[in-house]
Amino acid sequence: MRRPQKTCAICESGVRVVDFKDERTLSRFLTERGKILPSRLSGTCARHQRQLSTAIKRARMLALLPYIKGFGG
Amino acid sequence: MTRQYEVVYIFDSALEEAAINERLARFNALIQKEGIEPPQVSHWGKRTLAYPVKKHETGYYVVAKFDAEATALPEFERAIKLDDGVLRFLVVVSEGAQPVPVTAGKGDEEDDE
Repeated sequence: MRRPQKTCAICESGVRVVDFKDERTLSRFLTERGKILPSRLSGTCARHQRQLSTAIKRARMLALLPYIKGFGG
Repeated sequence: MTRQYEVVYIFDSALEEAAINERLARFNALIQKEGIEPPQVSHWGKRTLAYPVKKHETGYYVVAKFDAEATALPEFERAIKLDDGVLRFLVVVSEGAQPVPVTAGKGDEEDDE
C-alpha cells in the first residue's frame, strides 16, 4: 500500500528561493522543540528541503528562530 | 566582478537611531564605489531575540542589499566585527528575491531546475 505523494508546500506557494528572513514561514517546518522537520513528514521536495535547512540555520544564527524551543526562559 | 550581497545587522537596542545610522553610513562607505548603486537599507526596528545574544534580550534589526566586489568584503566584515554596537551580523550572497515572472511560460534560461 503506497500512500499518495504529499505535495511540496513551498512549490505550491510559488516561491523559488526560500528566504531566511521570513521566520513565520520557516517555523512551519520545525517541530515543537525547534528541530527541522524531515521532508518525509513535511512533504517538501528535495530542492526546497535543502534550501529550507540552510535558511533555518541562518535564521537561528540571527536569533530569528530558537535553536531549542522551550529551553530555559 | 561585483555580486549582490545581503547583510543583516543586529544592533544593540539601547543605541539611538542616529548612532545606528552613523554606523550604517560608516559600513556602507567601505563597500561604496562610484558607478555602483547605494545599498537598499531597510530597518526592521526593535525585535525580541529568540534567545539572548551577548546578554541582550532585544535587538535592532537592519537589512541591507548591496552590490560589491568580493575583495571589499573582508575589510567590511572586519569593521563590523570590531564594532561593539553590533550584537551579530550575517553577510550572504543574495540569491535573489528577484521579481519572479508570474507567466507560466518556460522562458527561464536556467537549466538546473
